[in-house]
Amino acid sequence: MSNMALICTLCFVAVAAFISMKQKLGLEKEILIGTLRSAVQLLFIGYVLHFVFGTSNPFFILIIITGMILVAAWNAGAKAKHISGIRLRIAITLACTEGVTMGILLGLGIIAPTPQYIIPVSGIIIGSSMIVCGLLLNRMKREMETARGEIEMLLALGATEKQAIHSSLRRSVRASMIPTIDGMKTVGLVQLPGMMTGMIVAGADPIEAVRYQILIMFVLASSAAMTAMILSLISYKLWFTKDARLLPVLPAD
Amino acid sequence: MSLLQLNKVSKYKFDEEKEWLFRDITADISPEDHIVLIGGSGQGKSTLLRIIARLERLDDGGICLEGKASKEWKPQSWRKKVSYVAQKPVMLTGSIKNNLRTVSLLHDRPFEEELARRYMEAVGLGQLDWGKNAVDLSGGEQQRLALIRSLMLNPDILLLDEITSSLDPGSKHAVEQLLLEWVSEASSPKAYLWITHDVEQARAISNQVWFMAEGCLLEKGETTAFFEHPNTKQAKQFMSGLQTEVVKHP
Repeated sequence: MSNMALICTLCFVAVAAFISMKQKLGLEKEILIGTLRSAVQLLFIGYVLHFVFGTSNPFFILIIITGMILVAAWNAGAKAKHISGIRLRIAITLACTEGVTMGILLGLGIIAPTPQYIIPVSGIIIGSSMIVCGLLLNRMKREMETARGEIEMLLALGATEKQAIHSSLRRSVRASMIPTIDGMKTVGLVQLPGMMTGMIVAGADPIEAVRYQILIMFVLASSAAMTAMILSLISYKLWFTKDARLLPVLPAD
Repeated sequence: MSLLQLNKVSKYKFDEEKEWLFRDITADISPEDHIVLIGGSGQGKSTLLRIIARLERLDDGGICLEGKASKEWKPQSWRKKVSYVAQKPVMLTGSIKNNLRTVSLLHDRPFEEELARRYMEAVGLGQLDWGKNAVDLSGGEQQRLALIRSLMLNPDILLLDEITSSLDPGSKHAVEQLLLEWVSEASSPKAYLWITHDVEQARAISNQVWFMAEGCLLEKGETTAFFEHPNTKQAKQFMSGLQTEVVKHP
Protein backbone atom coordinates (compact mmCIF):
# COMPACT_ATOMS: atom_id res chain seq x y z
CA MET A 1 0.00 0.00 0.00
CA SER A 2 1.44 3.39 -0.96
CA ASN A 3 1.84 6.22 1.55
CA MET A 4 -0.79 8.21 -0.35
CA ALA A 5 -3.26 5.33 -0.08
CA LEU A 6 -2.51 5.07 3.64
CA ILE A 7 -3.20 8.80 4.12
CA CYS A 8 -6.44 8.44 2.15
CA THR A 9 -7.70 5.94 4.75
CA LEU A 10 -8.20 8.97 7.01
CA CYS A 11 -11.36 9.74 5.03
CA PHE A 12 -13.04 6.88 6.93
CA VAL A 13 -12.14 8.60 10.17
CA ALA A 14 -13.54 11.83 8.77
CA VAL A 15 -16.84 10.05 8.08
CA ALA A 16 -17.03 8.87 11.71
CA ALA A 17 -16.13 12.34 13.03
CA PHE A 18 -18.65 14.00 10.71
CA ILE A 19 -21.47 11.71 11.89
CA SER A 20 -20.48 12.33 15.50
CA MET A 21 -20.62 16.11 15.01
CA LYS A 22 -23.82 16.03 12.98
CA GLN A 23 -25.61 13.81 15.48
CA LYS A 24 -24.05 15.65 18.48
CA LEU A 25 -22.67 12.37 19.84
CA GLY A 26 -19.72 14.14 21.42
CA LEU A 27 -17.32 11.41 20.27
CA GLU A 28 -14.98 13.57 18.16
CA LYS A 29 -12.27 13.68 20.81
CA GLU A 30 -12.52 9.92 21.35
CA ILE A 31 -12.33 9.32 17.59
CA LEU A 32 -9.26 11.56 17.31
CA ILE A 33 -7.51 9.83 20.21
CA GLY A 34 -8.48 6.39 18.85
CA THR A 35 -7.18 7.28 15.39
CA LEU A 36 -3.86 8.58 16.69
CA ARG A 37 -3.39 5.69 19.10
CA SER A 38 -4.21 2.97 16.58
CA ALA A 39 -1.92 4.55 13.96
CA VAL A 40 0.99 5.03 16.39
CA GLN A 41 0.56 1.61 18.05
CA LEU A 42 0.32 -0.24 14.73
CA LEU A 43 3.25 1.62 13.19
CA PHE A 44 5.27 0.97 16.33
CA ILE A 45 4.48 -2.77 16.35
CA GLY A 46 5.16 -2.85 12.58
CA TYR A 47 8.69 -1.56 13.11
CA VAL A 48 9.21 -3.82 16.12
CA LEU A 49 8.11 -6.86 14.13
CA HIS A 50 10.29 -5.80 11.24
CA PHE A 51 13.25 -5.73 13.62
CA VAL A 52 12.36 -9.02 15.37
CA PHE A 53 11.77 -10.89 12.11
CA GLY A 54 15.18 -9.68 11.01
CA THR A 55 16.99 -10.92 14.11
CA SER A 56 14.93 -14.11 14.77
CA ASN A 57 16.13 -13.95 18.39
CA PRO A 58 13.77 -15.97 20.68
CA PHE A 59 14.42 -13.49 23.50
CA PHE A 60 12.62 -10.72 21.56
CA ILE A 61 9.70 -13.06 20.83
CA LEU A 62 9.41 -13.72 24.56
CA ILE A 63 9.47 -10.00 25.37
CA ILE A 64 6.74 -9.25 22.84
CA ILE A 65 4.51 -12.07 24.10
CA THR A 66 5.07 -11.01 27.72
CA GLY A 67 4.16 -7.44 26.78
CA MET A 68 0.97 -8.66 25.09
CA ILE A 69 0.00 -10.68 28.18
CA LEU A 70 0.62 -7.77 30.56
CA VAL A 71 -1.38 -5.28 28.49
CA ALA A 72 -4.21 -7.80 28.02
CA ALA A 73 -4.26 -8.61 31.76
CA TRP A 74 -4.37 -4.93 32.65
CA ASN A 75 -7.17 -4.27 30.18
CA ALA A 76 -9.34 -7.30 31.11
CA GLY A 77 -8.74 -6.67 34.82
CA ALA A 78 -10.42 -3.28 34.52
CA LYS A 79 -13.74 -5.17 34.37
CA ALA A 80 -13.28 -6.13 38.02
CA LYS A 81 -10.65 -3.77 39.34
CA HIS A 82 -12.19 -3.81 42.84
CA ILE A 83 -11.22 -7.49 43.09
CA SER A 84 -7.76 -7.41 44.55
CA GLY A 85 -5.27 -9.63 42.69
CA ILE A 86 -7.46 -10.21 39.64
CA ARG A 87 -4.91 -8.81 37.15
CA LEU A 88 -2.24 -11.20 38.36
CA ARG A 89 -4.66 -14.14 37.97
CA ILE A 90 -5.55 -12.99 34.45
CA ALA A 91 -1.87 -12.72 33.52
CA ILE A 92 -1.24 -16.25 34.83
CA THR A 93 -4.28 -17.52 32.91
CA LEU A 94 -3.18 -15.88 29.66
CA ALA A 95 0.36 -17.18 30.09
CA CYS A 96 -0.92 -20.74 30.65
CA THR A 97 -3.29 -20.60 27.67
CA GLU A 98 -0.60 -19.14 25.42
CA GLY A 99 2.00 -21.64 26.67
CA VAL A 100 -0.18 -24.73 26.20
CA THR A 101 -1.61 -23.64 22.84
CA MET A 102 1.71 -22.56 21.40
CA GLY A 103 3.31 -25.72 22.78
CA ILE A 104 0.80 -27.87 20.88
CA LEU A 105 1.10 -25.79 17.69
CA LEU A 106 4.89 -25.97 17.69
CA GLY A 107 5.17 -29.46 19.16
CA LEU A 108 2.96 -31.00 16.48
CA GLY A 109 4.64 -28.93 13.77
CA ILE A 110 1.35 -27.21 12.86
CA ILE A 111 3.09 -23.85 12.52
CA ALA A 112 6.74 -23.13 11.82
CA PRO A 113 8.85 -22.02 14.83
CA THR A 114 9.56 -18.59 13.37
CA PRO A 115 8.56 -15.15 14.66
CA GLN A 116 6.44 -14.61 11.52
CA TYR A 117 4.07 -17.34 12.77
CA ILE A 118 4.55 -17.28 16.54
CA ILE A 119 3.91 -13.58 17.13
CA PRO A 120 0.72 -13.07 15.07
CA VAL A 121 -0.81 -16.34 16.29
CA SER A 122 0.10 -15.43 19.88
CA GLY A 123 -1.58 -12.07 19.39
CA ILE A 124 -4.74 -13.80 18.22
CA ILE A 125 -4.69 -16.26 21.15
CA ILE A 126 -3.99 -13.62 23.81
CA GLY A 127 -6.41 -11.07 22.33
CA SER A 128 -9.25 -13.56 22.15
CA SER A 129 -8.48 -14.91 25.63
CA MET A 130 -8.50 -11.36 26.98
CA ILE A 131 -12.06 -10.95 25.68
CA VAL A 132 -13.04 -14.26 27.29
CA CYS A 133 -11.58 -13.04 30.62
CA GLY A 134 -13.56 -9.79 30.36
CA LEU A 135 -16.80 -11.64 29.60
CA LEU A 136 -16.23 -14.04 32.48
CA LEU A 137 -15.59 -11.22 34.95
CA ASN A 138 -18.58 -9.23 33.74
CA ARG A 139 -20.83 -12.23 34.23
CA MET A 140 -19.33 -12.99 37.64
CA LYS A 141 -20.06 -9.42 38.74
CA ARG A 142 -23.69 -9.91 37.74
CA GLU A 143 -23.79 -13.29 39.50
CA MET A 144 -22.56 -11.65 42.70
CA GLU A 145 -25.77 -9.64 42.68
CA THR A 146 -28.32 -12.04 41.20
CA ALA A 147 -27.08 -15.27 42.81
CA ARG A 148 -26.06 -13.72 46.12
CA GLY A 149 -28.97 -15.36 47.95
CA GLU A 150 -28.07 -18.79 46.59
CA ILE A 151 -24.37 -18.44 47.43
CA GLU A 152 -25.06 -17.22 50.97
CA MET A 153 -27.65 -19.95 51.52
CA LEU A 154 -25.03 -22.56 50.63
CA LEU A 155 -22.44 -20.85 52.84
CA ALA A 156 -24.98 -20.89 55.69
CA LEU A 157 -25.24 -24.66 55.21
CA GLY A 158 -21.50 -24.99 55.73
CA ALA A 159 -20.46 -25.07 52.08
CA THR A 160 -16.91 -24.19 51.08
CA GLU A 161 -16.39 -21.16 48.87
CA LYS A 162 -15.94 -23.44 45.87
CA GLN A 163 -19.16 -25.33 46.55
CA ALA A 164 -21.09 -22.12 47.14
CA ILE A 165 -19.94 -20.37 43.98
CA HIS A 166 -19.86 -23.44 41.73
CA SER A 167 -23.13 -22.77 39.88
CA SER A 168 -22.27 -19.12 39.33
CA LEU A 169 -18.85 -20.07 37.99
CA ARG A 170 -20.35 -22.61 35.64
CA ARG A 171 -22.82 -20.05 34.27
CA SER A 172 -20.02 -17.51 33.86
CA VAL A 173 -17.69 -19.95 32.09
CA ARG A 174 -20.53 -20.84 29.73
CA ALA A 175 -21.39 -17.19 29.05
CA SER A 176 -17.76 -16.34 28.31
CA MET A 177 -17.39 -19.19 25.78
CA ILE A 178 -20.64 -18.75 23.88
CA PRO A 179 -19.46 -15.87 21.60
CA THR A 180 -16.46 -17.94 20.46
CA ILE A 181 -18.60 -20.99 19.77
CA ASP A 182 -21.22 -18.88 17.97
CA GLY A 183 -18.41 -17.33 15.92
CA MET A 184 -17.34 -20.84 14.85
CA LYS A 185 -20.85 -21.58 13.61
CA THR A 186 -21.14 -18.51 11.39
CA VAL A 187 -17.57 -17.94 10.24
CA GLY A 188 -17.32 -17.80 6.47
CA LEU A 189 -21.08 -17.34 6.16
CA VAL A 190 -21.51 -14.05 7.99
CA GLN A 191 -18.00 -12.70 8.37
CA LEU A 192 -14.67 -13.31 6.71
CA PRO A 193 -12.15 -13.23 9.52
CA GLY A 194 -9.30 -10.71 9.57
CA MET A 195 -6.47 -13.18 9.22
CA MET A 196 -7.98 -14.91 6.20
CA THR A 197 -8.90 -11.60 4.59
CA GLY A 198 -5.41 -10.27 5.21
CA MET A 199 -3.77 -13.31 3.61
CA ILE A 200 -6.05 -13.11 0.56
CA VAL A 201 -5.38 -9.37 0.15
CA ALA A 202 -1.66 -10.06 0.46
CA GLY A 203 -1.96 -12.47 -2.47
CA ALA A 204 -2.20 -15.88 -0.78
CA ASP A 205 -4.25 -18.70 -2.27
CA PRO A 206 -7.78 -18.52 -0.70
CA ILE A 207 -7.68 -22.28 0.03
CA GLU A 208 -4.40 -21.85 1.91
CA ALA A 209 -5.88 -18.83 3.73
CA VAL A 210 -8.92 -20.91 4.70
CA ARG A 211 -6.71 -23.70 6.05
CA TYR A 212 -5.00 -21.22 8.36
CA GLN A 213 -8.33 -19.75 9.34
CA ILE A 214 -9.64 -23.20 10.29
CA LEU A 215 -6.57 -23.63 12.45
CA ILE A 216 -7.21 -20.26 14.11
CA MET A 217 -10.89 -21.02 14.75
CA PHE A 218 -10.05 -24.31 16.46
CA VAL A 219 -7.25 -22.67 18.44
CA LEU A 220 -9.69 -19.94 19.57
CA ALA A 221 -12.22 -22.52 20.73
CA SER A 222 -9.68 -24.39 22.80
CA SER A 223 -8.05 -21.26 24.19
CA ALA A 224 -11.47 -19.83 25.17
CA ALA A 225 -12.27 -23.03 27.07
CA MET A 226 -8.84 -23.12 28.69
CA THR A 227 -8.91 -19.45 29.64
CA ALA A 228 -12.39 -19.62 31.17
CA MET A 229 -11.58 -22.78 33.12
CA ILE A 230 -8.21 -21.62 34.44
CA LEU A 231 -9.36 -18.11 35.38
CA SER A 232 -12.47 -19.39 37.14
CA LEU A 233 -10.45 -21.93 39.10
CA ILE A 234 -7.67 -19.61 40.22
CA SER A 235 -9.81 -16.55 40.89
CA TYR A 236 -13.01 -17.79 42.57
CA LYS A 237 -11.65 -17.22 46.08
CA LEU A 238 -11.09 -13.55 45.29
CA TRP A 239 -14.86 -13.00 45.44
CA PHE A 240 -14.78 -13.91 49.12
CA THR A 241 -13.13 -12.46 52.17
CA LYS A 242 -10.50 -14.47 54.04
CA ASP A 243 -13.16 -15.78 56.41
CA ALA A 244 -15.33 -17.03 53.53
CA ARG A 245 -17.89 -14.23 53.40
CA LEU A 246 -19.00 -12.86 50.05
CA LEU A 247 -17.48 -9.48 49.20
CA PRO A 248 -20.01 -6.69 49.49
CA VAL A 249 -21.79 -5.64 46.31
CA LEU A 250 -20.26 -2.48 44.92
CA PRO A 251 -22.49 0.37 43.83
CA ALA A 252 -23.10 0.43 40.07
CA ASP A 253 -20.49 2.30 38.02
CA MET B 1 -21.94 -23.76 79.95
CA SER B 2 -23.29 -21.60 77.16
CA LEU B 3 -23.11 -22.66 73.52
CA LEU B 4 -22.36 -19.22 72.16
CA GLN B 5 -21.27 -15.92 73.69
CA LEU B 6 -21.57 -12.48 72.16
CA ASN B 7 -19.09 -10.09 73.66
CA LYS B 8 -19.66 -6.39 72.93
CA VAL B 9 -20.63 -7.10 69.33
CA SER B 10 -20.88 -3.83 67.41
CA LYS B 11 -21.63 -2.94 63.82
CA TYR B 12 -21.43 0.28 61.84
CA LYS B 13 -24.44 1.40 59.82
CA PHE B 14 -22.43 1.61 56.65
CA ASP B 15 -18.88 0.47 56.10
CA GLU B 16 -17.81 3.99 55.20
CA GLU B 17 -19.64 6.00 57.82
CA LYS B 18 -18.60 5.73 61.44
CA GLU B 19 -22.13 5.65 62.74
CA TRP B 20 -23.14 2.64 64.83
CA LEU B 21 -26.06 0.44 63.82
CA PHE B 22 -25.75 -1.23 67.20
CA ARG B 23 -23.08 -1.33 69.89
CA ASP B 24 -21.84 -3.55 72.69
CA ILE B 25 -24.26 -6.44 72.38
CA THR B 26 -23.30 -8.92 75.05
CA ALA B 27 -25.38 -12.05 75.52
CA ASP B 28 -25.20 -15.84 75.77
CA ILE B 29 -27.06 -18.62 74.03
CA SER B 30 -27.29 -21.75 76.15
CA PRO B 31 -28.58 -25.26 75.40
CA GLU B 32 -32.37 -25.43 75.14
CA ASP B 33 -32.69 -21.66 74.78
CA HIS B 34 -35.71 -20.60 72.74
CA ILE B 35 -34.90 -16.96 72.19
CA VAL B 36 -36.95 -14.45 70.24
CA LEU B 37 -35.23 -11.35 68.96
CA ILE B 38 -37.66 -8.48 68.65
CA GLY B 39 -37.43 -4.77 67.97
CA GLY B 40 -38.50 -2.14 65.49
CA SER B 41 -37.48 -2.23 61.84
CA GLY B 42 -33.96 -1.02 61.08
CA GLN B 43 -32.52 -1.92 64.49
CA GLY B 44 -30.16 -4.46 62.90
CA LYS B 45 -31.82 -7.71 64.01
CA SER B 46 -31.13 -9.52 60.73
CA THR B 47 -27.63 -8.06 60.63
CA LEU B 48 -26.97 -9.43 64.11
CA LEU B 49 -28.12 -12.89 63.03
CA ARG B 50 -25.95 -12.73 59.90
CA ILE B 51 -22.97 -11.66 62.01
CA ILE B 52 -23.52 -14.61 64.35
CA ALA B 53 -23.68 -16.88 61.27
CA ARG B 54 -20.44 -15.26 60.03
CA LEU B 55 -22.08 -14.10 56.83
CA GLU B 56 -21.40 -10.49 57.73
CA ARG B 57 -18.47 -8.75 59.38
CA LEU B 58 -18.63 -7.39 62.87
CA ASP B 59 -16.86 -4.09 63.42
CA ASP B 60 -16.02 -4.52 67.07
CA GLY B 61 -16.31 -7.13 69.79
CA GLY B 62 -16.17 -10.87 69.44
CA ILE B 63 -18.13 -14.11 69.35
CA CYS B 64 -17.21 -17.43 70.93
CA LEU B 65 -18.65 -20.83 70.13
CA GLU B 66 -18.10 -23.62 72.64
CA GLY B 67 -15.61 -21.35 74.39
CA LYS B 68 -13.47 -20.84 71.26
CA ALA B 69 -13.24 -17.45 69.55
CA SER B 70 -14.62 -17.25 66.01
CA LYS B 71 -11.12 -16.74 64.59
CA GLU B 72 -10.13 -20.17 65.85
CA TRP B 73 -12.91 -21.81 63.87
CA LYS B 74 -12.94 -22.57 60.17
CA PRO B 75 -15.94 -20.64 58.80
CA GLN B 76 -17.41 -23.86 57.36
CA SER B 77 -17.17 -25.71 60.70
CA TRP B 78 -18.73 -22.73 62.46
CA ARG B 79 -21.64 -22.54 60.02
CA LYS B 80 -22.31 -26.25 60.34
CA LYS B 81 -22.97 -25.61 64.02
CA VAL B 82 -24.59 -22.17 63.75
CA SER B 83 -26.84 -22.00 60.72
CA TYR B 84 -28.80 -19.03 59.41
CA VAL B 85 -32.19 -19.41 57.70
CA ALA B 86 -33.14 -16.34 55.67
CA GLN B 87 -36.59 -14.81 55.52
CA LYS B 88 -36.64 -15.05 51.74
CA PRO B 89 -36.15 -18.70 50.82
CA VAL B 90 -33.78 -19.52 47.97
CA MET B 91 -34.49 -22.73 46.13
CA LEU B 92 -31.76 -24.52 44.24
CA THR B 93 -32.67 -25.49 40.69
CA GLY B 94 -34.05 -28.99 40.48
CA SER B 95 -36.49 -31.05 42.47
CA ILE B 96 -37.66 -30.84 46.07
CA LYS B 97 -35.58 -33.95 46.76
CA ASN B 98 -32.53 -32.24 45.28
CA ASN B 99 -33.04 -29.39 47.76
CA LEU B 100 -33.54 -31.78 50.67
CA ARG B 101 -30.34 -33.59 49.72
CA THR B 102 -28.27 -30.38 49.62
CA VAL B 103 -26.58 -30.97 52.98
CA SER B 104 -25.79 -34.60 52.26
CA LEU B 105 -24.24 -33.61 48.92
CA LEU B 106 -22.26 -30.70 50.40
CA HIS B 107 -20.83 -32.71 53.28
CA ASP B 108 -20.70 -36.13 51.71
CA ARG B 109 -23.10 -37.57 54.26
CA PRO B 110 -25.75 -40.23 53.65
CA PHE B 111 -29.16 -38.70 52.94
CA GLU B 112 -31.47 -39.28 55.91
CA GLU B 113 -34.63 -39.77 53.89
CA GLU B 114 -36.78 -40.94 56.80
CA LEU B 115 -35.87 -37.86 58.83
CA ALA B 116 -36.58 -35.57 55.88
CA ARG B 117 -39.95 -37.26 55.38
CA ARG B 118 -40.79 -36.84 59.08
CA TYR B 119 -39.90 -33.12 58.98
CA MET B 120 -41.88 -32.61 55.78
CA GLU B 121 -44.94 -34.22 57.31
CA ALA B 122 -44.52 -32.23 60.52
CA VAL B 123 -44.74 -28.92 58.63
CA GLY B 124 -47.64 -30.00 56.43
CA LEU B 125 -45.66 -30.83 53.29
CA GLY B 126 -46.07 -34.59 53.56
CA GLN B 127 -48.27 -34.78 50.48
CA LEU B 128 -45.77 -33.09 48.15
CA ASP B 129 -44.27 -35.05 45.28
CA TRP B 130 -40.49 -34.84 45.82
CA GLY B 131 -39.91 -34.95 42.09
CA LYS B 132 -41.66 -31.60 41.67
CA ASN B 133 -39.58 -28.59 40.75
CA ALA B 134 -38.75 -26.66 43.94
CA VAL B 135 -39.01 -23.23 42.32
CA ASP B 136 -42.66 -24.00 41.40
CA LEU B 137 -43.65 -24.23 45.08
CA SER B 138 -45.60 -21.38 46.70
CA GLY B 139 -43.77 -18.86 48.90
CA GLY B 140 -44.98 -20.56 52.07
CA GLU B 141 -43.98 -24.03 50.84
CA GLN B 142 -40.54 -22.73 49.87
CA GLN B 143 -40.13 -21.16 53.31
CA ARG B 144 -40.86 -24.50 55.01
CA LEU B 145 -38.66 -26.45 52.60
CA ALA B 146 -35.77 -24.03 53.24
CA LEU B 147 -36.18 -24.57 56.99
CA ILE B 148 -36.13 -28.35 56.62
CA ARG B 149 -33.08 -28.13 54.37
CA SER B 150 -31.30 -26.35 57.24
CA LEU B 151 -32.64 -28.81 59.83
CA MET B 152 -31.06 -31.62 57.81
CA LEU B 153 -27.73 -30.00 58.67
CA ASN B 154 -28.52 -30.69 62.33
CA PRO B 155 -26.79 -27.55 63.64
CA ASP B 156 -26.50 -26.75 67.35
CA ILE B 157 -27.98 -23.27 66.93
CA LEU B 158 -30.53 -22.16 64.37
CA LEU B 159 -30.74 -18.48 63.50
CA LEU B 160 -34.24 -17.94 62.15
CA ASP B 161 -35.03 -14.71 60.33
CA GLU B 162 -38.84 -14.31 60.14
CA ILE B 163 -39.15 -17.78 58.69
CA THR B 164 -42.93 -17.94 59.02
CA SER B 165 -43.73 -14.59 57.41
CA SER B 166 -45.45 -16.22 54.40
CA LEU B 167 -47.27 -18.96 56.30
CA ASP B 168 -50.96 -19.40 57.13
CA PRO B 169 -51.78 -19.82 60.86
CA GLY B 170 -51.94 -23.62 60.65
CA SER B 171 -48.59 -24.01 58.92
CA LYS B 172 -47.07 -21.41 61.26
CA HIS B 173 -48.20 -23.44 64.27
CA ALA B 174 -46.80 -26.64 62.73
CA VAL B 175 -43.40 -25.01 62.19
CA GLU B 176 -43.39 -23.67 65.76
CA GLN B 177 -44.16 -27.11 67.17
CA LEU B 178 -41.46 -28.76 65.08
CA LEU B 179 -38.81 -26.29 66.23
CA LEU B 180 -39.85 -26.48 69.89
CA GLU B 181 -39.53 -30.28 69.69
CA TRP B 182 -36.26 -29.99 67.78
CA VAL B 183 -34.71 -28.01 70.64
CA SER B 184 -36.14 -29.97 73.56
CA GLU B 185 -35.98 -33.52 72.23
CA ALA B 186 -32.60 -33.56 70.55
CA SER B 187 -29.87 -35.82 71.89
CA SER B 188 -27.26 -33.04 71.63
CA PRO B 189 -27.65 -29.47 73.00
CA LYS B 190 -29.72 -27.25 70.71
CA ALA B 191 -31.02 -23.70 70.75
CA TYR B 192 -32.55 -21.16 68.43
CA LEU B 193 -32.57 -17.41 68.07
CA TRP B 194 -35.68 -16.37 66.16
CA ILE B 195 -36.62 -12.96 64.77
CA THR B 196 -40.34 -12.38 64.70
CA HIS B 197 -42.70 -9.42 64.58
CA ASP B 198 -45.63 -11.54 65.74
CA VAL B 199 -46.22 -10.98 69.46
CA GLU B 200 -48.38 -14.09 69.88
CA GLN B 201 -45.75 -16.16 68.17
CA ALA B 202 -43.02 -14.58 70.29
CA ARG B 203 -44.87 -15.63 73.45
CA ALA B 204 -45.53 -19.13 72.15
CA ILE B 205 -42.06 -20.04 70.94
CA SER B 206 -39.71 -18.50 73.45
CA ASN B 207 -38.43 -18.83 76.97
CA GLN B 208 -36.28 -15.71 76.55
CA VAL B 209 -36.65 -12.39 74.80
CA TRP B 210 -33.93 -10.16 73.40
CA PHE B 211 -35.24 -6.67 72.66
CA MET B 212 -33.22 -4.39 70.39
CA ALA B 213 -33.72 -0.63 70.42
CA GLU B 214 -31.64 2.55 70.57
CA GLY B 215 -28.74 0.79 68.86
CA CYS B 216 -28.26 -1.84 71.55
CA LEU B 217 -29.73 -4.91 73.17
CA LEU B 218 -31.90 -2.87 75.49
CA GLU B 219 -33.55 -5.74 77.35
CA LYS B 220 -33.07 -9.44 77.66
CA GLY B 221 -34.91 -11.69 80.00
CA GLU B 222 -37.48 -14.36 80.61
CA THR B 223 -40.44 -14.26 78.20
CA THR B 224 -43.37 -13.95 80.60
CA ALA B 225 -41.63 -11.27 82.66
CA PHE B 226 -40.76 -9.28 79.54
CA PHE B 227 -44.24 -9.28 78.09
CA GLU B 228 -45.97 -8.58 81.40
CA HIS B 229 -43.51 -6.10 82.88
CA PRO B 230 -41.16 -4.62 80.33
CA ASN B 231 -38.47 -2.61 82.11
CA THR B 232 -37.82 0.11 79.58
CA LYS B 233 -39.95 2.86 78.11
CA GLN B 234 -38.91 1.73 74.60
CA ALA B 235 -40.08 -1.85 75.21
CA LYS B 236 -43.42 -0.58 76.56
CA GLN B 237 -43.86 1.64 73.49
CA PHE B 238 -42.90 -1.23 71.20
CA MET B 239 -45.39 -3.56 72.92
CA SER B 240 -48.20 -1.00 72.77
CA GLY B 241 -47.48 -0.56 69.06
CA LEU B 242 -47.78 -4.30 68.53
CA GLN B 243 -51.01 -4.45 70.52
CA THR B 244 -52.48 -1.62 68.43
CA GLU B 245 -51.62 -3.60 65.33
CA VAL B 246 -53.27 -6.71 66.75
CA VAL B 247 -56.46 -4.71 67.41
CA LYS B 248 -56.33 -3.24 63.91
CA HIS B 249 -55.67 -6.62 62.28
CA PRO B 250 -57.13 -9.24 64.60
